[in-house]
Amino acid sequence: MSGHVRFEELVLPHLDAGYNLARWLTRDVHDAEDVVQDACMRALKYVGTLRDGAARAWFLTIVRHAFYDWCERNRPAEVLKDDGSAIDMAEDHSSAGPELAALRNAESRVLAEAVAELPLVFREVLVLRELEELSYKEIARIADIPVGTVMSRLARARALLRRSPLLHSIRGRTSGGEQ
Amino acid sequence: MNCTEAGMLVERYADGESDALQRRSIEQHLRGCATCAAKHQDLLALRARIGAEVPYFTATPALRERVRALLANAQDTAPSRPRPQRDRWGWLTGGFVAGCAATLLAWSIGTTVIAWRTNEGVAVEAVAMHVRATLNNHLVQVASSDQHTVKPWLSARLDYSPPVQDLASEGFPLTGGRVDMLNKQRVATLVYTHRLHTIDVFVTPESAPAPMTLRTVRGFNVVHATGSGMEWIAVSDVNADELTEFVQRLARQSATP
Repeated sequence: MSGHVRFEELVLPHLDAGYNLARWLTRDVHDAEDVVQDACMRALKYVGTLRDGAARAWFLTIVRHAFYDWCERNRPAEVLKDDGSAIDMAEDHSSAGPELAALRNAESRVLAEAVAELPLVFREVLVLRELEELSYKEIARIADIPVGTVMSRLARARALLRRSPLLHSIRGRTSGGEQ
Repeated sequence: MNCTEAGMLVERYADGESDALQRRSIEQHLRGCATCAAKHQDLLALRARIGAEVPYFTATPALRERVRALLANAQDTAPSRPRPQRDRWGWLTGGFVAGCAATLLAWSIGTTVIAWRTNEGVAVEAVAMHVRATLNNHLVQVASSDQHTVKPWLSARLDYSPPVQDLASEGFPLTGGRVDMLNKQRVATLVYTHRLHTIDVFVTPESAPAPMTLRTVRGFNVVHATGSGMEWIAVSDVNADELTEFVQRLARQSATP
């Protein structure tokens, strides 16, 4: 099977997944398109090394690499934020929330915004887990970190979301939903 | 197990990543500890909200166009094979036959893809409906485990009468029903429980018999089946095997009420 055909059969079905990841990492439509296009060029070149059955994780790994390369060129500051300061910054949007949260209609946008505001390292793990529904092990392989780090980053991401002032309503709803 | 240990494991448990041993001990702890149980519920609620409210972005038409162009360029640079010479008639007949075959093939693939896409769309919509109902606690408009109460209530609100069965004896008690809008149609939704899980079953008149399909959408299992003149779409976090079996039983049992 030629690289071209392999790409169409194995990689192309995961274009949405790749775009979704890139979209959440770049937080911009056009930047995400650039990143995925670059990823596709790489995927087309290396598709010969791809084992069947692991295409999505393989492509997502490439998208992630393409994103970090793009990020170094275009937003070098964001990559460097991979430390404690990122957490402090993320927690520090105290007053933006209440009036937004009051609008029920805006609620879903609010949660999406809270996810978009997470520091990069937490955001990527959360998106891979909650939107791509990948296992800890797959995420560890894609993000090139130990499984323990996947777990702690995921826990941190959720703690940040839960603590986000935009999202008080979670607790209220839960108590209503318990049986 | 104490609360500190449980705290570390609860996340893993909610993600379905703990092994059997961990699962047993954490379940035991959650039954006895209200604080950790609330934490667990909180986590499930957050996950459900993320699933329902944080959008999954799909590739833009512009991106698809760019990828197509990329592929076309890659193909142009591939070495081209010399074409074998043939006489004119042979070429014409061959072309005609190939053309017909290609048209037929494209048509059948197209139809299959369209049907698959449609069902995919409905599955996504059904999951969104299930999540919304669960979160807002609007699961049932008519609460009853009695099929003779639920069925007339639904028939009165729809232009068809869905079969209603209580499967309590098999571990799936009926909790009630409601009317939803799915795929731009008013549909009957039957609500069942299985242990602590809720199952929504959307029932509509069957348009064409189709093989049973199982999908996973945002972590929920969606089983689509036809039987007894109805189309059944069940959505739940119950595991795939149990849900499939349950839908099979529903579709089969309704034939002999």
